Amino acid sequence: MKGVEVTVEQVSRAYGDFKALDNVSVQIKKGEFFSLLGPSGCGKTTLLRIIAGFDYPDNGKVEFDGKDILPLAPDKRQSNTVFQTYALFPHLTVYENIAFPLRLKHVDKEEIDKKVKEYVHLVQLDDHITKKPSMLSGGQKQRVAIARALINEPRVLLLDEPLSALDAKLRQNLLVELDELHDKVGITFIYVTHDQSEALSVSDRIAVMNKGKVLQIGTPYEIYEAPATRFVAQFIGESNTFPCTVLSCEPYENEFMIKVDVPMLGGTVSVTDYDALEVGSKLDFTVRPEKVRITSTPPRSTNKELNTYKGIVDEPVYSGFQSKFYVRLDNEQKSIVKVFKQHTAFLDDGPEIDWRDTVYVSWTATDGYLVKDTDR
Amino acid sequence: MNYHTYSKKSSVSFSYTVLALTIVFLFIPLFVVVFFSFNSAKGMQWQGASLIWYEKLIFDSPSLWAAFKNSLIIALTSSLTATMLGTLAAIGIKWYRFHGKSYITTISYLPMVLPEVIIGISMLIFFSAVKIRLGMFTIFVAHTTFNLPFVFMMVSARLDEFDYSTVEAARDLGANERQTLTKVIIPSVIPAILSGFLMCITMSLEDFVITFFVSGPGSGTLPLYVYSMIRYGVSPVINALSFVMILGTMVIAFTFRRFLKTVAASS
Amino acid sequence: MRKLLKPREREQMLGTAYAFPMGIWFTLFFTIPLGIIVLYSFLKRGLYGGVEWEFTLDAYKQMFNPSFGRVVIRTLWISVLATLGCILIAIPCGYAMAKSKYQTVLLFLIIIPFWTNSLIRIYAWISILSTEGFVNSLLIKLGLIDQGLKLIYNNGAVVLVLIYMYLPFAILPLFTTIDKFDFSLLDAARDLGASKLEAIIKVMFPNIKSGLSTAFIFTFIPIFGAYTVPLLVGGKDSTMIGNIIVDQVSKTRNWPLASAFSMVLTFISLVGVFWMLYNGKREQMQSKKTTQQSLEQNIKKHHLIRGEK
Repeated sequence: MKGVEVTVEQVSRAYGDFKALDNVSVQIKKGEFFSLLGPSGCGKTTLLRIIAGFDYPDNGKVEFDGKDILPLAPDKRQSNTVFQTYALFPHLTVYENIAFPLRLKHVDKEEIDKKVKEYVHLVQLDDHITKKPSMLSGGQKQRVAIARALINEPRVLLLDEPLSALDAKLRQNLLVELDELHDKVGITFIYVTHDQSEALSVSDRIAVMNKGKVLQIGTPYEIYEAPATRFVAQFIGESNTFPCTVLSCEPYENEFMIKVDVPMLGGTVSVTDYDALEVGSKLDFTVRPEKVRITSTPPRSTNKELNTYKGIVDEPVYSGFQSKFYVRLDNEQKSIVKVFKQHTAFLDDGPEIDWRDTVYVSWTATDGYLVKDTDR
Repeated sequence: MNYHTYSKKSSVSFSYTVLALTIVFLFIPLFVVVFFSFNSAKGMQWQGASLIWYEKLIFDSPSLWAAFKNSLIIALTSSLTATMLGTLAAIGIKWYRFHGKSYITTISYLPMVLPEVIIGISMLIFFSAVKIRLGMFTIFVAHTTFNLPFVFMMVSARLDEFDYSTVEAARDLGANERQTLTKVIIPSVIPAILSGFLMCITMSLEDFVITFFVSGPGSGTLPLYVYSMIRYGVSPVINALSFVMILGTMVIAFTFRRFLKTVAASS
Repeated sequence: MRKLLKPREREQMLGTAYAFPMGIWFTLFFTIPLGIIVLYSFLKRGLYGGVEWEFTLDAYKQMFNPSFGRVVIRTLWISVLATLGCILIAIPCGYAMAKSKYQTVLLFLIIIPFWTNSLIRIYAWISILSTEGFVNSLLIKLGLIDQGLKLIYNNGAVVLVLIYMYLPFAILPLFTTIDKFDFSLLDAARDLGASKLEAIIKVMFPNIKSGLSTAFIFTFIPIFGAYTVPLLVGGKDSTMIGNIIVDQVSKTRNWPLASAFSMVLTFISLVGVFWMLYNGKREQMQSKKTTQQSLEQNIKKHHLIRGEK
């Protein structure tokens, strides 16, 4: 059982005036765990349904290993789907649900029994085969849905927000199981989700989508550390984002050191980037809150490109493993900078910072980045 | 009025009293009829227990049994037709968009909300306009028409709870359109289909007004027979018949509940 | 050649295949008959029943004949009285049922008489109310009266039996809406200073409006079109519109007039249904239901209990 390569080329789909997909192209490698990530209404589910055969694009191509699959009905495609609502057949037992595809093919009884047991075992449901779906927990239903989708030995498994109906703890466990399952069966997984942490933790690559367009495709690391647009930066993790104008751009080691004017911070900021940028371009400056340091005294500048601002703690939020600080800067705009401070050692995090304390927030030039604002 | 007091019990006990009285009000007529069906005399004066009216009902009422046979034939045929058409339409309307959908949906509710007299009169005038002789066939048509909305509605209600992804899942797993219908959709909504069917049977057996308009000579149903008994010469046989019919309704109601439970448990 | 139809075409094909048999049935046996009635109401009366193909408003003019006018007015007041009776009884019943632990049993008790053949139920009332009936025999036996009272064949008997026949139609929708009502709202109102009655009137009633309007329509429409009850327990002065229609068809054989009266009944029923929908719709403004959905919902609310419980 091996995965296929899935090619989506310039696919568009509109419902009346609403463009669900706008010229989307994605190339998914054989055996890859690929996620489509975006807010609801971004088109990710439409794309999945087109690949599965439940929807049809207005134009564009969808290919499995270079073969056009659009003319094929869902039952003729080498893909199977795990539905958001599981879509288990309520009148059939777990066993019969999983055996359903084989029964349709008139596979002989012993063969069905052998295979169903194998897949039941794969998803660890051995004790539940005689139960009806209504007697299963959410997590168990999920597993039945996965086993049922896999028994046909598809070459692509399409997962439509499969964990969204489960509670947070269970979600984490199932996510790990899903990852292990992917390694075991070795086929291509296409995973649709709106939850960035799910996507980051299991995917080989992610396509971030918004308003029917693919904004960025990359590994979780690339997506988080080098977001391509303001939307990606804000949708994945948290960030401080401010509009800025490029003042200067000089080579710096193997990158460029760029100085930008950030009116909301009330000054200039140094930031490094791989690409040279034209002076005067309007961009967004972004820095992740966990990369900002917060201190009660001005930081000792070991790095000449350290950006430091003074402000007052507007709101401290303690949440165990970390504290979040909303720092109101001491400038005309009174802009807010979010800072996340990890508590890595007991009572050893330096002086305690409290509400209304005067603090200094700082970050190095390499920790910030500049993004295009495609929404503007 | 203890209604104004702040005691929590007062209004509950007020409403409970009304409810209790209402239930008594609903049952008294039935009890009176049943009670006097065992009276040996004709009137409403108790003269001692007897089963004479039951004997007459069973052994001495051939035209009643003929009417009952007509009722059964019509109930079965019209309920079957209505169940088939209504179920299919409910599936089509729930999941697909097509020309004429809103017309069919609207029209399928109207027979339920219009007074029975209107349905009866319009059918009578229609049949005589197109020169169809009144008889068993016209009763069958009329009953199917007033039964259809109920099947349609009950199956639709069941489909509302049914996840369309299940249909897509069946297609995805290799079922074609026909297999999806017979192996997934119908088994899932079978409780609603059966309860719709049984409801049609009871409504068909009980209808008087519409049948009254569209029946012809020799096609009298049981309710029509009851009507003529009430209208032209009350005989206590009708008391006995009432008890049998009340019993019949209850038996249908209970078995159909039990039946539904077993169906629901096994599905 | 594409084996997979595009979604729109596939929907069109399947929807048509599934729904058209019923669509055709209703067109043939409901829409066309109703259309014929509309048409006939504007035609001239035939000599021996039937119609002549000549446009006229005679039928509608005849409706203003004072003897018919009296019937219309009587139909209205009897219907309003019986409907109000049903609803006034149904509100506390629905409330008690919603609060009760034995909902299933109570529902069954309400529904069993309702499932009994309607003629049998009317017959039961005749045997209770008639001059030699149950009530009179009982009263005579107890020595309270010497001669049978005239309890039947008058408008009072019609209203009583109509209430009896249609009471479950009012109880069931009210029960379902009250059952869904969040009773903690009443406690909240009490907490904020309302008396028990004020809480019920100011907080519960506005929230069960759709149930009230459904109950009203589902009792008013069939009562307004009643035929059997006034015929069997009413007197000479108890005729209602339903009886006129039947008489015009079967006795006088004035089809246009029967059609015109049918139009009036249909019109009033439809106005009632749309009023109910409007009320239901206002209540569900936030959930953005379409008219169709709220119609379905209102009807289901009422009838499903009848069918499934």
